[in-house]
Amino acid sequence: MNFSLASAPRKLNLSAWDERYEQLCHSGLRESGYGGPLRRHVEREKNFRLEHLQFDNSPAALRLWNFLLTENERLHQARACGEKIVGTMKDLGTVPVMAYALPGVRAFYPDGAWWTPCLMECSDKLLQQAEAMGIDASFCPVRAMLPAFENGEHFPKPDLLVCSTGAVCDDFSAIAQRLEHSGHPIFWWEMPRRRAPAAGETFCALPGNLFAPKIQVDGVRTELQRVGEALGELAGKKLDDALLTDGIRIANEVRRLLADLRQAVYSAPAAPLPALEMLVAEMLAIHFCSDREETIAVLDDLLTEAQARVRQSQFVIGPDTVRIFWVNPVADLRAMNLLEELGGRICGSDYMFTHALDLIPENLPPLEALACTALADPMVGPTADRAARIVRECQTHRVEAVVISRIPGASHCAREGEIIREVVRQQLDIPAIELEIPPVCDALLPALGSRLQALIETARNKAKG
Amino acid sequence: MNVFFTSPWIPVEWIRAHGLMPRGIWAAENFQPGASPSSAGVCTFAEAAVRFAEANADSAVIFSTACDQMRRGFDTAMLHGQQRVFLFNLPATWQTATAKAMFRAELERLGQFLLTIGGRAPSLEKLRQEMRQSSATRKRLFESAATSSPRGFAEAVARFHWDGTFSSPPPAAPANQIPLALVGGPLLASHWKLLDEIEAAGGRVALNATKTGERSLCPAFQNHSAPFDDLVTSYFENIVDVFQRPNTRLYSWLKPRLASRQVRGIVLWHFTGCDLWRAEAQTLRETFGLPVLLLEAGGEPGNAPRELTRLQAFIEMLKAEG
Repeated sequence: MNFSLASAPRKLNLSAWDERYEQLCHSGLRESGYGGPLRRHVEREKNFRLEHLQFDNSPAALRLWNFLLTENERLHQARACGEKIVGTMKDLGTVPVMAYALPGVRAFYPDGAWWTPCLMECSDKLLQQAEAMGIDASFCPVRAMLPAFENGEHFPKPDLLVCSTGAVCDDFSAIAQRLEHSGHPIFWWEMPRRRAPAAGETFCALPGNLFAPKIQVDGVRTELQRVGEALGELAGKKLDDALLTDGIRIANEVRRLLADLRQAVYSAPAAPLPALEMLVAEMLAIHFCSDREETIAVLDDLLTEAQARVRQSQFVIGPDTVRIFWVNPVADLRAMNLLEELGGRICGSDYMFTHALDLIPENLPPLEALACTALADPMVGPTADRAARIVRECQTHRVEAVVISRIPGASHCAREGEIIREVVRQQLDIPAIELEIPPVCDALLPALGSRLQALIETARNKAKG
Repeated sequence: MNVFFTSPWIPVEWIRAHGLMPRGIWAAENFQPGASPSSAGVCTFAEAAVRFAEANADSAVIFSTACDQMRRGFDTAMLHGQQRVFLFNLPATWQTATAKAMFRAELERLGQFLLTIGGRAPSLEKLRQEMRQSSATRKRLFESAATSSPRGFAEAVARFHWDGTFSSPPPAAPANQIPLALVGGPLLASHWKLLDEIEAAGGRVALNATKTGERSLCPAFQNHSAPFDDLVTSYFENIVDVFQRPNTRLYSWLKPRLASRQVRGIVLWHFTGCDLWRAEAQTLRETFGLPVLLLEAGGEPGNAPRELTRLQAFIEMLKAEG
């Protein structure tokens, strides 16, 4: 039976998903080991936010959510089986490719704890605990990782903690430094701020239509070599070129699937999958949600679902919506639902890790390829480069408005929004707004809603000419 | 031509050897961090640097990558079409040959930039001479640090960052005041009033470890036979700042000085939006077992009454502890 098309695509709240889940089970739904009703994540892990979200009704989406919400469980199981756990911080997409190339090693981003206060609707008190540890509300919600390390109630304590530094957010760097002072040694590696090659300077092409001086690529490659040695030592096996090449090939499999999924969803006449599921799907690219092979299966399901819906002209969001490009991940997942409730539809995104979506070059020595990829990080280069990519993607997907969501307290947000808005205004002449979304945005929903509505109306009026 | 630098870790000797005049931006009269930032969360120091670059297009401004705010401030300056701006990549790590090589390469790149704005290719002898001179001035300033009046010392260091010269700071007046350390970001001329206010409240800055204080005098040159190598090594190995990872050098530098000057409390001086310094408050407390007062550089010159009251209460508390 084709479960996906047994009912028309639509969004369901958690209660409706309870019924849907029962129906699917009666119809013979077969799930992975981490499968089950979404409700259990509220009851067992206190992920209360799920009760306020709208989810896609496909089994593929169910699998995606279950995969996402069982990551900590998966990490603890891996630890119990004797696997090595690497906490990799800040680079968003590069070091995990190296870690997963080694047998018996899993990498995850402790940074991901920034969504825990949202998912648990702050019932975890992580943000308050972070404040007691000297990192108050003026810092990015990623500060939640600090007490998460201490209380051990979320992810297991990593065997190795790796963090990129240099051209990274100040708040993250400061929090990571605080973490190290609290007794969690960190392997720091240098990520220089990417710059344009000077006239006559030898340079390398990077993914994402970018360029960097060869001297910078060489520097990052040497740093990644150090990281590779540390990973190899942890694994008890040298991370050689053959392993890395294979790791890159599999990472690219994930990236190709995501590229196809983004193309299928963002270029369709209406949205075959909701914005929230797309955000979660894109997040899988950075560290495979701690299971590389399963990530491929999850994405494969989603892509099949999206393509089938497009073929049958069945959409979860109608065609009369405004096409939006979204910049930066949202601290509260609810914001993605809100945009759609108000008549918007995501047709492009930059969730701060576009370099984890681009294919890693396979025609270069592997460490050089990874260095090029790391340097293509939108957050380590000039904001103008990031804005240029946003403009290109807006043009490709005929985007009508841009939303830049500020992350509370994040150092990069203080300026980048203004630069991106200016470039978008100059080059595309479409409306753009900047709004700040806290980890639980309920109290701000009316204000956020008004601003998004105004943007959508402006874009609609502009389209009418 | 004046070349304004935003970080003391950008080697001024290199600029001077190119026949240009390095000047600490914080020592410029028209450097005004009081202006309202363009967006919430923007560091007023970084904002002032951007505006300064726009208003002084006949000079050059060197930004550094030491923090996100300055890095993105440079992006804004570029977006506004500024030509004579340069972003110096200061590595955050310091334990590897790679980081040192990056620092060296940046210094060479800075040299190329200086040539494009009218600098002359420096001779080794000229560089050596500049290094000798600044080394001697730094040494004299260092030697006077512990015994000088806090304000006089701040002024003398500012003079050094402005034109490289030494002006002897007046000695501290003997008094039974509470010795404090002022640790943090740049202390501008408009903030020197704070040093007087501390004294008026019964304290004394026994250690000025701001970005523009004693901490900024660290490089000491030793190998005059290979001046460029010495310049690279001496700066790279003596950067003492909060942005480094790990930032243990900062703590190693502070430890003996806090002890020898019998410091009883730390005033942590930071600009709005400076995550790097604010995040250190708890670590400073835990590491040195000293009380720490966070003091924010206000938008206006001088200190807001609320900040002043907090400062007075902090010193009162230390007095009461005996």
